[in-house]
Amino acid sequence: MAAQGRTARGLRQTPSTGRPRGEERERQPRKGRSQIQYRLFSLGQGMDMPLFVFIMVLLAVGLVMLFSASYAYSYYHEGNSYYYIARQGGFAVAGVAAMLLISTFDYHHFHKLSYPVLGVTVLLLLLVLLLGPVLKVKEIAPPEGDAYRWLQFGPLGFQPSEIAKFAVILVVAHLISQNAAKMHTFQHGVVPFLVVLGTVAALIFFENHLSATLIVLLIGAAMMFVGGTRPRWFILGGLLVGGALAVMLIGGSNYQSGRIDVWLDPFHGDPDLTHQTRQSLYAIGSGGLFGLGLGQSRQKYLYLPEPQNDFIFAIVCEELGMVGALAIMVLFGLVIWRGMYVSLKAKDRFGMMLGLGITFQVGIQTVLNICVVTNTIPNTGISLPFFSYGGTALMMLLGEMGILLNISRSATVEKT
Amino acid sequence: MAKGIAEKMKKKAMGLTAALLVVGFGAAAVSLFHWQILRGEDMSTAAMDQSLRSTTLPAMRGTIYDATGTKVLAQSASVWTVVLEPAFLAHDEDLRRKVSSGLAPILELDEEELYEKTGDASSYYTVIKRRIETETRDTVNQFLTDNGIDSGVRLIDDYKRYYPYGTVASNILGFTGYDGQGLEGLELYYDNELRGTAGRMVSARNAWNLDMPFEKEQLIEAENGSDLVLTIDETVQSILKKYLAEGIEKYQVKNGAVAIMMDVKTGGVIGLSTKPDYDPNDPFTVLDENLLAEIEALPESEQDEAYNTAQIRQWRNKAVADTYYPGSVFKMCVGAMGLEEGLITEASSYTCNGFVKFEGMKDPIHCWKHAGHGTTTFREGLCNSCNPWFMHIGDLLGATTFAKYREAFGFTQKTGIDLPGESNSLYHDLEELGPVELACESFGQNFSITPVQMITACSVIANGGFLVQPHVVDRIVDQDGNIVKTADTAYRRQVISQETASAIADIMRQNAEVGTANGGYVMGYRVCGKTGTSEKVDKHNQDRSKPMEYIASYCGFAPAEDPQYALLVFFDEPGGEDVSGLTGGNAVAGPIFSKIMEEVLPYLGVEAQYTEDEYEQLDMVSPSVAGKTLDEAIAHLEELGLAYSIIGSEDGDVLVTEQIPETGAAVPKDGKVVLYTEGYDVDSTLVEVPDFMGYDLANASYLASINGLQISVNGASTDGTTVSLQSIAAGEQVRLGTVISLTFVEDVNTDIAVDREAEGQEE
Repeated sequence: MAAQGRTARGLRQTPSTGRPRGEERERQPRKGRSQIQYRLFSLGQGMDMPLFVFIMVLLAVGLVMLFSASYAYSYYHEGNSYYYIARQGGFAVAGVAAMLLISTFDYHHFHKLSYPVLGVTVLLLLLVLLLGPVLKVKEIAPPEGDAYRWLQFGPLGFQPSEIAKFAVILVVAHLISQNAAKMHTFQHGVVPFLVVLGTVAALIFFENHLSATLIVLLIGAAMMFVGGTRPRWFILGGLLVGGALAVMLIGGSNYQSGRIDVWLDPFHGDPDLTHQTRQSLYAIGSGGLFGLGLGQSRQKYLYLPEPQNDFIFAIVCEELGMVGALAIMVLFGLVIWRGMYVSLKAKDRFGMMLGLGITFQVGIQTVLNICVVTNTIPNTGISLPFFSYGGTALMMLLGEMGILLNISRSATVEKT
Repeated sequence: MAKGIAEKMKKKAMGLTAALLVVGFGAAAVSLFHWQILRGEDMSTAAMDQSLRSTTLPAMRGTIYDATGTKVLAQSASVWTVVLEPAFLAHDEDLRRKVSSGLAPILELDEEELYEKTGDASSYYTVIKRRIETETRDTVNQFLTDNGIDSGVRLIDDYKRYYPYGTVASNILGFTGYDGQGLEGLELYYDNELRGTAGRMVSARNAWNLDMPFEKEQLIEAENGSDLVLTIDETVQSILKKYLAEGIEKYQVKNGAVAIMMDVKTGGVIGLSTKPDYDPNDPFTVLDENLLAEIEALPESEQDEAYNTAQIRQWRNKAVADTYYPGSVFKMCVGAMGLEEGLITEASSYTCNGFVKFEGMKDPIHCWKHAGHGTTTFREGLCNSCNPWFMHIGDLLGATTFAKYREAFGFTQKTGIDLPGESNSLYHDLEELGPVELACESFGQNFSITPVQMITACSVIANGGFLVQPHVVDRIVDQDGNIVKTADTAYRRQVISQETASAIADIMRQNAEVGTANGGYVMGYRVCGKTGTSEKVDKHNQDRSKPMEYIASYCGFAPAEDPQYALLVFFDEPGGEDVSGLTGGNAVAGPIFSKIMEEVLPYLGVEAQYTEDEYEQLDMVSPSVAGKTLDEAIAHLEELGLAYSIIGSEDGDVLVTEQIPETGAAVPKDGKVVLYTEGYDVDSTLVEVPDFMGYDLANASYLASINGLQISVNGASTDGTTVSLQSIAAGEQVRLGTVISLTFVEDVNTDIAVDREAEGQEE
């Protein structure tokens, strides 16, 4: 470039001859580039640029909002306002690096890894139950009320249920790609899935983690539906799960039925139970059409519990208003739609199902989270992808995005 | 086939994703619209409510000054209200205990009760003690600092109202409530001006009640209230109060009293005292002895309620809120109507037979003098307070003209005085004003007005015919010293001519000297007066087993040469058992009117001008002779022309140890000074004061001399007058030579308005 600049300056005396030559020169490499597609970040074939850009934009917006939402909470609970954003920023950098690295890791290797990953997941889930409710080893399996969801090994803590979601996606994608032609049969289209999903869902259920249980089942069901399992089984399964939920609500714990009461009327009843939903609605309502402005939330000042986590979207609504909230929903929609689109263009069925599974996970979690925050559905603990604070969840998510990007590299899709 | 499967899968995947996004985000968007747009305001308000702590910065209430502009009648001073925020204490048992055990002794509260209050987690504002003063506040602050309590207990700025003169002007001033709002009197009437505008400090607090960083506090400074400068003069007010109390005691008045003094030219009220009254510093305590006695007499179960009623009664400003039949006092107005219309002159004559008979009435309406006054001039008629004379004037006027003047004198409308609770008058409308009603109203009976209406009408006659606007506040001054508002002293209208007013005033002057109103006579001053003795007919009709009660009133003005000040004195239900029969306006209200005028006029700068007769009666001031030798003392007294007598050693060199009357006290011109030396028996120098009531001057003088006492004459000691008031009560032990001041009035109930029987049948 520098040499070119000099030449150009030197040619200023004879512009009539210099310009055509310059154009010619520039045109040459462009032609060459278009022939081998876009190569930035790419090793081997290029990845899907729109998807990559959407992910990075969403992640950036998510980090900004996390900073704002956690600002006060962090200040009062951790002594400085940067505690959460610093940690999350670190995870994000590591996560993006991991994403780019994984995007070069041929996803076909996961064919072989699917059962080992499932195995490890089941073991981890069992470990949680063993160390938690059975042995009560608080150092490794710290309880949260009645629930045991975490494993803590020194500084590293994570939720095995997060890994379980990925394991389920992997195994289901594997099974569907293996049995694509026989999916309409009970033997191949239902039984294996029932075993895998049933096992994992049951283990998570025993952790007392209803939301994760439902998400695992929903992801699995969505993939099976696309894979070709007959609709009647979904109707049957839906009835069974719905019935089980109904039994839990009517005959089961007050904890679950209380959530319904809060959902129906968040402004009356036990102030302790309604607190979170009520504060969330105060935040959303305060935002109005255009919001109070970035950083101007009042509700984050300890009124809304854990604003950096499941209810971060309420702070988004308060600071950016309905317009900002809809814009972010559109951004999620773009990632999800592009993820699906790329998956559908995958080279083979495993890639397609793997990509779809990951996309469904993001879609289901996003929709459920936003619906919970806006009190559209009863409150249940679901974090918002790319936004909510949580190291393992973000790392897992970005890793999965890496897989999606890897699938895009071999997909027959216009990638710019 | 495989291709078909792939296509199907793609369709399903797209459909599923689309459904998820459309349904999921669609539902969320609907929710957002609901909560952010439709209910955004509610939510936003609720969110603000929980995070904004608004502190009211109270405005200091304006000061109320008397007419001198220097005496403070009402003033506010800083105090503090202690407020708990239990929401920040309830969760911490130790803190609750610490706060309640620490504050209880400082604030003189019960520790357990306080502890209970700290446990209410839902409250952010519980008042535990109002109006603590600076010292207590400092102690509370010290306690909070020492124990590091920075949340949960707050001190809120407040003001307390002080009334330095206590009961003196209570019924004018009124008082304020817990929140500093005016509840009665001027405090209520001028609440907006006095109150000022409270400021606010709005600060955002997080859920832990700490100030939100980066949120600006919004501060609106309080604007202090304006000051009032009254037309009321504290000195005059105190004088009114003193003599009302005296009158109530002497004449055993059962239902309170009123005295109003007004500047006849401006309508400014210089003094307005009513009984019962109260101490605005402590308005809920009933002070009036009559009221307390009434409560005592009730069974215990009814006492609480009676106490509440008594509180309301003592807060009531009788001068504006109560109405009464003006009685014969009203005759000054009726006379003026007749003169003004040219229907009568001073010399017109009318013959009173003692009654007037009306068609359709079985019994006639009597004059107070049943025998009749015979043929008299109008001048005599007014001085006699002859009822038939005024029925005659009423008849001459006719209902229409009478009603026109009645309205012009201001009897049909509120005066608009700047005090709350002014009553409407009660009168017969023109259509209802038949011959009998007209006759009754012509001598002041059967229609009810307020005392302030009466004195305003009296001012019309005093000031040459103009209706003035009665008012209590002269000007309102804001905190920067700017006059915000001054009283309207313009005449509202001319009611009667200067000539008519002067003529009536002259008759009233004569009346106060030698007529039925001579009880109001003031030595050294020419006063004009008219008495009234109104029957409380309504009350009598309710319970006929009890004797008729009266209102004794006296209304007049001074000095006659250039009337400046009008005074109305009235006593409601005088004449208890001990002074039975003493119920007339002249006998009861007259002497009090006289005493007030005698003390107030010199204070207001109206100089006394004595006639020769009066000068003779005038007392001297007792010189200082105690401490001198007897010889020196005698020489001094002889020089002054005063007689003397000696008790004890008569040796010329002994010292005078004591003198009666004391130095500076009054001694009659023909009186003596008793000199006490040494070597006498103290007991033998004591005498019991005899009862002078009802004696005429000659007998009173004799009674005094045989008891070794001296008398000083008040009022008109002319023929037919007797003692109605003595300065030292009968039965008291005093030293030989003590001067007792006696007030002489005509003792008949001269002008009771309507014969009882006639009134009874008319009903």
